[in-house]
Amino acid sequence: MTSKPASAEEQLSSLFGSYKAEWLKGRMFELFTEPAYFPDLITSRPCLLIGGRGTGKTTVLRCMSYEGQFVRSGSQADRIAEWPYYGVYYRVNTNRVSAFQGPELPAERWVRAFAHYFNLVLCEGILRFLEWYRIHIPSSEDLSALDWELIATSLHLAPTFSASELLRAVRKSIVSFEAYINNVADGEAVPLSLQGAPVDALLQSLMWLPQFTGKSFFFLLDEYENFEDYQQQIVNTLIKHSGESYTFKVGVRELGWRVRTTLNANEQLISPADYVRVHIAEKLDGERFAAFADAVISERMARIETSVRMPKDIRLLFPGLTDEEEAEVLDRTDEGPATRAALELSENVPEVERAILNGMPLLEKYFLVVWARAHGMSLTDCWRSYVDSPSMWSVRYGNFKHSLLFAIRKGKRGIRKYYAGWSVFVQLSAMNIRYLLELVDQSLLVHIRNGRALDAPVSPDMQTLVAQQVGKKNLAELEGLTVHGARLTKLLLGLGRIFQELAANSEGHAPEITQFHLADEGRGGTIREDVDRLLTAAVMHLALLRFSGSKPGDERDTRDYDYAVHPIFSPFFVFPHRKKRKMLLTGQQLLGLVSRPRTTIREILADHNRQIPEDLPDQMLLFEAYYRDEQ
Amino acid sequence: MSSDRRLNERPLLTKVCDSVEDFSPEPDSSYILARSGEFRSAHSESWEEAARAINVRFCRVTSFGPSGFTIELNGRVEEVALRSSRQLSRLWQACGSGTVYLDITGLPHHVWAPLLRVGIASCNRLLVTYVEPRDYRFSQTPTEGEIFDLSEKISGVAAIPGFATLTDEGDDHFCFIPLLGFEGTRLAYILEHVQPPGERIVPVVGVPGFQPEYPFYAYLGNRSALTETHAWRNVRLAIANCPFSLFYLLEDIAAEYPGDSLKIAPIGTKPHALGAILFAVSSTRSVEIVYDHPIRKSSRTEGIARLLAYDVSGFVVR
Repeated sequence: MTSKPASAEEQLSSLFGSYKAEWLKGRMFELFTEPAYFPDLITSRPCLLIGGRGTGKTTVLRCMSYEGQFVRSGSQADRIAEWPYYGVYYRVNTNRVSAFQGPELPAERWVRAFAHYFNLVLCEGILRFLEWYRIHIPSSEDLSALDWELIATSLHLAPTFSASELLRAVRKSIVSFEAYINNVADGEAVPLSLQGAPVDALLQSLMWLPQFTGKSFFFLLDEYENFEDYQQQIVNTLIKHSGESYTFKVGVRELGWRVRTTLNANEQLISPADYVRVHIAEKLDGERFAAFADAVISERMARIETSVRMPKDIRLLFPGLTDEEEAEVLDRTDEGPATRAALELSENVPEVERAILNGMPLLEKYFLVVWARAHGMSLTDCWRSYVDSPSMWSVRYGNFKHSLLFAIRKGKRGIRKYYAGWSVFVQLSAMNIRYLLELVDQSLLVHIRNGRALDAPVSPDMQTLVAQQVGKKNLAELEGLTVHGARLTKLLLGLGRIFQELAANSEGHAPEITQFHLADEGRGGTIREDVDRLLTAAVMHLALLRFSGSKPGDERDTRDYDYAVHPIFSPFFVFPHRKKRKMLLTGQQLLGLVSRPRTTIREILADHNRQIPEDLPDQMLLFEAYYRDEQ
Repeated sequence: MSSDRRLNERPLLTKVCDSVEDFSPEPDSSYILARSGEFRSAHSESWEEAARAINVRFCRVTSFGPSGFTIELNGRVEEVALRSSRQLSRLWQACGSGTVYLDITGLPHHVWAPLLRVGIASCNRLLVTYVEPRDYRFSQTPTEGEIFDLSEKISGVAAIPGFATLTDEGDDHFCFIPLLGFEGTRLAYILEHVQPPGERIVPVVGVPGFQPEYPFYAYLGNRSALTETHAWRNVRLAIANCPFSLFYLLEDIAAEYPGDSLKIAPIGTKPHALGAILFAVSSTRSVEIVYDHPIRKSSRTEGIARLLAYDVSGFVVR
């Protein structure tokens, strides 16, 4: 019996629906696209790969593992020996590392216990690789029995005389150590190895083998933020002193590397002296991310088996609207404030200049009327100035036209602002490949569920509705990402409401305020600490993005940065997704958005000469209890 | 389900008392219990006097922290570390050689699970008792947009004392089995930590529930996470108040995923958590318990429903 071919919908779910690396498993390696920063990672130096959830850290690290490299190189055993490096992947698992704390042992004993456990983990990883290597290249040379015995001794294990014996012994030792940790209060002494010593012994010995001479071994540590602080210090020490035979590639969320010192409190890890810092958002900014995203998505699109011919260029499936086109569409769907403004303007334009007026887009006419109103000018004077100083007005129009789109349908039902077009989707994702895949997947799914062909462009309406849904879904998910998720959700609901009101009522004000920075209120104090915790969690879990402010300073100092709500949420709230102007907030205000939203939102808007309307926009009614200070 | 297994090979060694007044411990037995903020944890008050008359000894857990607890035992207050088989074993020995009851109603998982782990090996006859609540007070039908504050509800993922798993071998091939409660945010949070492959998530819903409508609340509460991961397609059912049904189901799931290790999140009913712990203790497979340590509130439940006594020793040696 032959199986039924997968429908387009099933194929889409399989290729795009698995936004998370962990869901793709084996296919992750096949679908891997090298990002622009990849060459930085494969040098023989320690690397810190910093990025938010969904930026592709796990994918990259897993694809650098020997298992990933094997699939990526066509599963050809004869090519393994040519690889310049061999990577061993390790994900820091909270459920494991959290066991290494408690009142049963003094802090220094936990340090020794964890260092020993980590020795076992790293050695096991290398020994598993050696077992795999031997299966694929059986003729490869081995260490002497004496070498294996010495390595076993460094781990306080009984003598073993081969890699497979040592692997068995290490596994057994981990199980015994597990029993020790599970009964740690019994106070039994266990022999502990010296931090890093067995790893050094193992890898330095391997370097003498001809097949590994000149090669590098990488320990690929993912989710470094899950280590306890003292555990980060232990691994920092290993990173600092990793030698020629091996190094570490560390994946960590922004602000997840909490401790920079080694076990020697006076010794810091400093970039570039000690490690290469690869900040994904910085390395993949602008066009580089667009090109990367294009490659990732095209690779997946090419795998869809369908009767229609898929366009080669993904951009063609996601057409956007220019601001001028969008104004026409938005204005048409309701009472047409822009059209009314244009009529008003035409009544003030002399007959001889009517051709100029007729050549103007609706949005520009609307802009002139709004400008005149906001600056107390007559339309006749405004028009005269426009005709006499075209370049000045061109700049003004360029600055304000996008913000005007938010006013055309403010307070109305349905789509109030379009979020459509490939470049808009790329901006909404803010260099987060998971978000972009989600936008593409959901758009195409809704598209075909509505009976449209897969090769036909997805309408701007559909793209916008999907973008709103994706924003809403990710907002709802925030509360489960961390124990403090509820605070992040509330912070986002507050900021979202503020930016939405600022956008809808920008007439006479600075347009497109989409960021904030914090007032300098001095250091220390409980408020400051609470604000720092809130901002750190918000950045780590992608509720907020942060950007280097005007004062370059400590990466961990929250005051040195500007912040924006992640643009993936902007279609849900309806505010500009672009990085533009910023406003000043105090720490109290930020905390107030969590604890007293109604009052605080009102206060912040009043600072910007806006009043908050009583009625919530439709999409926010869901969170009415929060906005009424009832949650 | 492996329907070929005969029913008598899968006994459910549970005594169900419709009212706590119907329950009486065996004469000369020991009874370990604790009173939490929940009303139902005080259920023994109604039968304690009668029990004392037949020489039942009560051992009360008077306080507990993350790493230990204090217990009144034979007129003395003992401190017991949770990560000490030696101390836990001594405690069980002090309970005598007869039947011992471990009442888990008022004890958190991180206390009763290590007690049980050692108790199974130390006691001649160990029964676990549990009293169902008459109802839950929190919103059983959370509306979309209601913000669920995890920080008020859980402490975070950490190993249950005595159940830490340090081997990483199964991390690439594992089946994740969340035992569902009503609070979907807890499932979402644990999924974020465990990061299981979508097709290898097998959620378990308690059916029949303590009340007929509870399974629907479980689906409703966990809807987002079940939909997002497509795990709704793999949902399995086990009687909500029966640890043994859950145990058998775990055996079946383990057989269906022969090469995988199992990660179980006991975030549903306490009897299901008991089944998971029994499975973890007795299975030869690699089993990891993933738990988020809820912060219990006195207002969580109300009233007292049935009392269930599970013959754990009888089950383990079956």
